[in-house]
Amino acid sequence: MIYEHITNFAGKPVKDWEAQSGIQDPEGACYALRLSYEEGEEGQRWTDKFAAFLDDPSSNRVSGIVIGDWGVLSSATDETSAPVVEALVAARDRLPNLRAIFFGDIIGEECEISWIRQSDVSPLFMAYPQLEHFCVRGADGLSLGTLKHDSLKSLIIQSGGLGVNVVREVTAAEMPELEHLELWLGTDEYGGNARVADLAPIFDGGLFPKLKYLGLRDSQIADEIARAVATAPVVERIRVLDLSLGTLTDEGAAALLASPAIARLEKLDVHHHFCSEGMTAKLQSLGVEVDASEREKPDEYGDEVWRYVAVGE
Amino acid sequence: MWLSASSDGWRGPDRFVVIGNPGGRRVELFQAALNDLRLPAARVVSYVDLLSGKEALPRLVREGTIVRIESPGKDFEVERALIAAGADAADGDERFDRVSRQAAQNLSFERGRILYPRQWYLGYFATLRLIELQMAECPPHYPFLRPLHQWMNSPAEIALMFDKIACHQALSSRGSPVAPGLSAINSFDELGERMKEQNWRRVFVKLAHGSSASGVVAYQTDGRRHQATTTVETARQNGELRLYNSRRIRIYRDWREIAELIDALCRHRVHVEQWLPKAGFDNRTFDLRVVVIAGRACHTVARLSRSPMTNLHLLNERGDEDVVRERVGRAAWDAALRNCELAMECFPGSMYAGIDLLFTPDYRRQVVIEVNAFGDLLPGVFWQGQETYAAELLAMENG
Repeated sequence: MIYEHITNFAGKPVKDWEAQSGIQDPEGACYALRLSYEEGEEGQRWTDKFAAFLDDPSSNRVSGIVIGDWGVLSSATDETSAPVVEALVAARDRLPNLRAIFFGDIIGEECEISWIRQSDVSPLFMAYPQLEHFCVRGADGLSLGTLKHDSLKSLIIQSGGLGVNVVREVTAAEMPELEHLELWLGTDEYGGNARVADLAPIFDGGLFPKLKYLGLRDSQIADEIARAVATAPVVERIRVLDLSLGTLTDEGAAALLASPAIARLEKLDVHHHFCSEGMTAKLQSLGVEVDASEREKPDEYGDEVWRYVAVGE
Repeated sequence: MWLSASSDGWRGPDRFVVIGNPGGRRVELFQAALNDLRLPAARVVSYVDLLSGKEALPRLVREGTIVRIESPGKDFEVERALIAAGADAADGDERFDRVSRQAAQNLSFERGRILYPRQWYLGYFATLRLIELQMAECPPHYPFLRPLHQWMNSPAEIALMFDKIACHQALSSRGSPVAPGLSAINSFDELGERMKEQNWRRVFVKLAHGSSASGVVAYQTDGRRHQATTTVETARQNGELRLYNSRRIRIYRDWREIAELIDALCRHRVHVEQWLPKAGFDNRTFDLRVVVIAGRACHTVARLSRSPMTNLHLLNERGDEDVVRERVGRAAWDAALRNCELAMECFPGSMYAGIDLLFTPDYRRQVVIEVNAFGDLLPGVFWQGQETYAAELLAMENG
């Protein structure tokens, strides 16, 4: 579960945009546009707030925006992100400097991640060819379309279950500048039906030539992923491998330890894992920076052992 | 000054009377607080003796005696006696589950079982009324002192705090920020209809007379999906659906199961309010427990949780107050404390209570979740160097 709104994105602090104070630091901060509970109750719409934001004299200099709750909280029914995509696309000429979009900074107390209704966000990539950072939260209804983008440096998809259709859109994408790829795979219970084989194009290493960070996070098949990635060509090219938030056990960790390429990384992140104390110690003595914090214990009911990813639901 | 108002009584044995469960932690801690302040130990009246007539306040209360009413909880014998005491109480609305006095007396202990909370409340209400009537027969308190000083908390207001529906109304009518409520929900079907009317997708369904996290369900639906997060477990026995509180959070996703659970809770009277989003801190959800003493917000505890239930006894963690205050910001923190003090204005006859309060995710808005009559049991939490019980005694002394 995610408990807090983000405070940093694309290397910049996040500030809630308010009509009163306006845009103070268009280049140095990302501005968050979210409907508060009261605004939702008063019948305000996200698109109205966004229109007011665009009318701010400094909006044309804004470099990053964070889209928070667009009315999910105050609506009893499905409220997809499609109108938000539409509004952003329509505003393309008014946001010529926009480099970073966080789409869906909605915490679990506002809406479960798997209940966030996303939509086809591909028009954003066409409308903003200068975009460098894109993060989307929630995979239900999400589509990236046929993704060809010459500027995108980081692509992050946070979900409690990432559908194979989206994974395939990623592996079919052309993003020559991509340095940071982060997929929260989640569990099959919430639509996370991608198998290791579906990730193979990423493992081959040629897909995104500038990739420095690969995150295959929050996965229920973390062990299988660890085994596959440990000896994959992609590890030779990246600096950071992030398998955190998932259900990694000693099995997957042993595969990582056995790989000489892993020991040449700058950083290995496996925090939130289910490895034994001994295995955790071995990981930590790999000689590279390792985050093996948040060692979790499985839930046991009789003979059943349950290991949970950090963000499900 | 009033603690020493009576030259003969001030160190005398009749200074304090506590109604509670002898040997229980609360009574012990209160005695310890008295002892630390070099005040005489309180006379303890057990609920059991009070209910059986074996003990009565006129035998103990002298001029100047202060009566403290403690929680009747954590004692099955008392719980059973209170349910029995509620057997003959008239209920305006007879739709709630009841049990005869005889059957109540024969109930046996089962860990976590939720037993007739509506009837328990009627029994407790009658007991509080009995306490009030007995006090009326006692020698008057010092006439120059405010009536507040006869009680630490008045029985009528304790009863109000134990009725979440009435308490919510009282808070709301006096301008305290509360989550919007839905009144008189009697079934899951009704709940669904009313939520749709209000455009709500998330509610808390709570037993109207449960304490802390007893019988609480956090329910959400978007019309297609349903999810209920709760500590309540159900078990069928002899065709009867029994409810249990557990320490484990369960998630139900099948609407039929959720309907069964909520229908079962409704048979004991429920309070429903909108589940407003809570702010997070340190990768948890959090809310505040604030003990207001003599009108002033004193002890505070930030309760951190990975589930919608933040109650302390669910093994949740406490957050470092200074760090939380810094994160929330001075203005929001001060507003929160003021809101707790404002909430206590609904209870002019009560010296203290534990107020639960949430911050919305931007911290700008605070909402009172609950007023706990016995919410001052927070050993190890200090305000101006004092734990809660001592702070209450000192506030009386200085009041």
